[in-house]
Amino acid sequence: MRRWLPWLALAAVLAVALAVGAGRHGGRATPAQRAHRIAGELRCPTCRSLSAAESDAKAAKAVRDEIARRVRAGESDSEIRAYFVSRYGRDILLEPEGTGVAAIVWVLPVAALVCGIAGLALYFRRRR
Amino acid sequence: MRVRAIALSVGALALVLVAVLATRPSAETKEAQSPLLGHPAPALQGTALDGSTVRLSDYRGRWVVLNFFATWCVPCQREHPELIAFTRRHAAAHDAQVLGVIFDDTAARARSFVARNGGGWPLVDDPGGSIALDFGVRGPPESYLVDPNGDVLAKVVGEVTDAGLERLLQRAQARENRAR
Repeated sequence: MRRWLPWLALAAVLAVALAVGAGRHGGRATPAQRAHRIAGELRCPTCRSLSAAESDAKAAKAVRDEIARRVRAGESDSEIRAYFVSRYGRDILLEPEGTGVAAIVWVLPVAALVCGIAGLALYFRRRR
Repeated sequence: MRVRAIALSVGALALVLVAVLATRPSAETKEAQSPLLGHPAPALQGTALDGSTVRLSDYRGRWVVLNFFATWCVPCQREHPELIAFTRRHAAAHDAQVLGVIFDDTAARARSFVARNGGGWPLVDDPGGSIALDFGVRGPPESYLVDPNGDVLAKVVGEVTDAGLERLLQRAQARENRAR
């Protein structure tokens, strides 16, 4: 039992950290906050790597205005994102989607982490 | 022996890469992908430089080259005479029409540009950038070929030429004829 105590403590810290992190995004956002958050997820069409929320470009302002208009019209976040994807394609999204081939970018780091931990565990076990 | 095989493989791979890159169309002018291809063009309505209201649907029954341009954009300046030549060739047959949309520029500057350089097609002002957004425009010049039914058939990123537009139009017409 004593051997597992550090691992249990580590798991508890991780769970608390995740809960606190997730809680930060909770609560009901105002329409302006929602619009700003969505703009932060979209690439400015005329810039390389700035989001529509960060860029001063006219095209970024057009994106922000369109998001605000759609938020006022009662569209959901995914409907608004879908509109921009239907015009620019998936690369307008700064973060790749979690479905299809794009999901690889999310799955690979997790798989690498799991493999790394498993490899380390195996290594230390053999050394013992 | 093994080292030689690896070296040969790397060399062959490099050759293939060079061949692929050399035969690709230039990045300056190329047909680009767009989620709009094969779909009805977004509804476009705006005010032209002469104050009249222009709708894309007004040109139903004709091929439309929808051209997003700005007076500050050098490739737009270079392609302008090409668009004039294209417009002249189709003026009599009335089968194809250029329709310009001002991108990130003012109507006053566009007006003086047209006064200096000519061009008899309608230029629609897009002060809020919403038309460009609807078509997924990233930067001028970008052109969209819209068929007589109002569907988007091609997107060209970079400057167009009269000959290039003509080829694009003929290819699209042949494709539509085969589909009928």
